[in-house]
Amino acid sequence: MARDGETARREHAAHEALTRQPDPRPDGDRLVPPRPSPDLDDPMSYTYTTDLAAIRAVVHRYAIQAGLTEARAIDLTLAVSEVAANTVKHAKSPGSLHIWYDSKEIVCQVHDEGVITDPLAGRHVPSLDALGGHGLWIVNQVCDQVEIHSGETGTTIRLHMNLPQHDAGQ
Amino acid sequence: MWYNKGVDLLTVSVAARESAGEPYTLVEIVGEADVTNTDELRRLLDEEVAQQPRTLIIDLSGLRFLDSSALHALLRVNRSLDRQGGVLALVSPQPAVAKILRLTTADRLIPVFGSVAEAAAG
Repeated sequence: MARDGETARREHAAHEALTRQPDPRPDGDRLVPPRPSPDLDDPMSYTYTTDLAAIRAVVHRYAIQAGLTEARAIDLTLAVSEVAANTVKHAKSPGSLHIWYDSKEIVCQVHDEGVITDPLAGRHVPSLDALGGHGLWIVNQVCDQVEIHSGETGTTIRLHMNLPQHDAGQ
Repeated sequence: MWYNKGVDLLTVSVAARESAGEPYTLVEIVGEADVTNTDELRRLLDEEVAQQPRTLIIDLSGLRFLDSSALHALLRVNRSLDRQGGVLALVSPQPAVAKILRLTTADRLIPVFGSVAEAAAG
């Protein structure tokens, strides 16, 4: 991978953002407070309203660049699109997407002003007859770790995908 | 009859076809189907369901992406056709589309074929 100054700076910021370990989730269902976001001036930051195709293109590009296989890049793209779709459906203002990665994982963070009231959102298998509700379930199926924090200021969802050399499951 | 209806990101084409004397409706969906164009997709598919086809085949080979909203539109078509004695079949999903069909087990509910000819032969 080419490592120009820009990339190196970004990776440094990403590394700092990842130095804190994820909070333990013994029950797996508790809402987790978000850790500090990476530098807001980071070039891997995007604001979206309804342009989900553009968001998907960006996520897929960075997923491949970070080292995910094509199949896992598709998974992450699907997951981010589903989360961003919730912004389009429920939030009354634009959403933001931040992407960063280091040698271990790639993280996509989506924030919007919507509120998720169900702490178990996406944890149960929805019926195919249900009118909705597949989005967050899909996200939980394809991502290695999903953090959801929802409060008065909105909802932040972090989607983590392990990169191949650190993914013992592959 | 052919018509093309451009939806944002999405083109839907419909053709009346025949296989071994049996008529079927072939719908091609090209582009990316997500929450931003699901309403329009649903409306276009509903028009075809209203024609009460015995067999409705949706060719997905040109569809790069399908999200859960658009999937629900397909599941709705499947339910409607089932109720009126028709059959829905999907053809040639690309990897991203095949993934969501598999993940949600929609591919166990709706038959998926490798080609339109196979789908038409049932």
